[in-house]
Amino acid sequence: MNGSLTVRAQRTIAYGFLFFILISMATPFVWMISNTFKEQSQIFERQPTLIPEEPHLRNYVSLFVDFDFHKHFLNSAFIAVVHTFSHLFLASLAGFAFAKYNFPLKNFLFLILLGSMMVPLYTIFIPLFVLVIRLGLVNSYAGVIIPGVAGAFGIFFMKQSMEAVPGELLDSARIDGASEFRIYWQIALPLVRPALAVLAVLAFMGSWNDFVWPLVVLRSRELQTLPVVMAGMVSLYRMEYGVVMAASLLSTIPILLLFLVLQKQFLAGLTVGAVKS
Amino acid sequence: MASLPVHGNARNTDGDRGLRAWWSRSERKVVPYVFISPFYILFIVFSVGPLVYALYLSLHRWPGTGPMRHVGLGNYTYLAGDPVFLKSLWNTVYYAVGAFLFILPLALVLALLINSTLIRIKSLFRIGYFLPILTSTVAATIMFLLIFNNEFGLINQGLASLGIPALKWLDEELVKISVLAVVTWRYTGINVLYFLTGLQSIPPELYEAAQVDGAGTWAQFRYITLPQLRPIALFVGVVTMIGSFQLFAEPMLLANGGPNDASLTIANYLYRMGFTNAKLGYGSAIGWVLALIIFGLSFIQLYLFGAFRKED
Repeated sequence: MNGSLTVRAQRTIAYGFLFFILISMATPFVWMISNTFKEQSQIFERQPTLIPEEPHLRNYVSLFVDFDFHKHFLNSAFIAVVHTFSHLFLASLAGFAFAKYNFPLKNFLFLILLGSMMVPLYTIFIPLFVLVIRLGLVNSYAGVIIPGVAGAFGIFFMKQSMEAVPGELLDSARIDGASEFRIYWQIALPLVRPALAVLAVLAFMGSWNDFVWPLVVLRSRELQTLPVVMAGMVSLYRMEYGVVMAASLLSTIPILLLFLVLQKQFLAGLTVGAVKS
Repeated sequence: MASLPVHGNARNTDGDRGLRAWWSRSERKVVPYVFISPFYILFIVFSVGPLVYALYLSLHRWPGTGPMRHVGLGNYTYLAGDPVFLKSLWNTVYYAVGAFLFILPLALVLALLINSTLIRIKSLFRIGYFLPILTSTVAATIMFLLIFNNEFGLINQGLASLGIPALKWLDEELVKISVLAVVTWRYTGINVLYFLTGLQSIPPELYEAAQVDGAGTWAQFRYITLPQLRPIALFVGVVTMIGSFQLFAEPMLLANGGPNDASLTIANYLYRMGFTNAKLGYGSAIGWVLALIIFGLSFIQLYLFGAFRKED
């Protein structure tokens, strides 16, 4: 539309804008890192300094000594790992059934599955909490994990990749007398490993970052996960900004590391909904 | 692993053999139901049950213990005149509209630029913009406490160094903008990826044909890119709307829903009623109103984008 601008000028403007947004987005993160090495009084200073004059690690020490960061880290890790493996198992098993069998009511049941994704969490929030109390699951990891372990999205996702598993392979295993479960476990599952990896990063990240449900279920402090404890630190009467920032930073690192290792799976996983729409 | 091969077990008793014969005939009919049953059991127990129970609770007054008192539609009529609920509804709509006005156009522009031939180092931006979504909402919001603090926030320090008086980012007038900034920071990148996916699925032949016909950049954008992006735009729109209406952690941690409920969302108010004030019936009514709003708006979006129209 504007022939007056040379390609070179257009390119400069485009890069300028993209870098401006990139730097704006990086700023809060960089600023947080810088502040984890500052005293409260330095944070309150009028003049912002990116590199603290006397950087120290007292915030990190306090995080472990006063707030038992390592224990909550392990709580989060335990819940995320159990959730991820259970979810992968249930989702791939059901996805396998939907992709590789014909059975009465299949389409109807699948429609229900898709519809279940429409139920807003907050609508069932209060009764779900009452139910978890009645089942004696309040203040337990089971109460955090079980209600969301068989998410419909995972089944939908696994069904897509299970469909690519060749039926002849399954039939020849049947002729050899393998049970249906064994066919799923030993033949289908290894073939969909890439999809499992994608679903695993999604499930792990979802559980690791989950906040509201663990907040209401986990009542006693020693069971609480990182986001819940961090939220508690924010609402303390006298918030230690440096310590809170250190917690925030350290809680993000596992996902960042996972991302560095499994970048492709993350990008594929997070856009899968869009592609399938 | 679950059962051994059926044939060749001569030592079996007759009854056992009958059972095995039955199983070998029926295994493939029964097994799919067994494989999918965990989902449906959990769905009925932990979603359908609570959904119905929420409706039941919403017709009662109940502090969580003791007897329930049936109040008919009382909770709903009270809700319609509850100034705090109406405020939270207004705030939530504000966030949703803000998300549509800030995040989606920004994400589209960024995606168009990254996708254009002008830009060569694409993955730096693609991945750089995407990183914020990896943080938890809690960690993300905590980060912004240092940005928006009225006294020592980075923005106000920056303004001060330019000689501009500080703005009260967490006071009533600006707190919603601050919440939106956190949301924009966290969700722009994922929407860039969505739009990029959509852009890359547009067949290049369309552009080639348009160029042959002499269509300019703007005409190509208007008559090829935008219409071709419709499915992805619908997806992004619905996801953004559903997400905005369930905002919880950002306003809670940035300003505790305040000051004076200025940042409070429907989800925050539901939590306050159900968990802090132990008004389980009233909280459930809020939950059902929220569900109806989300269903209604999803339906309207699908309708406007012609998802119900028969095409092809």
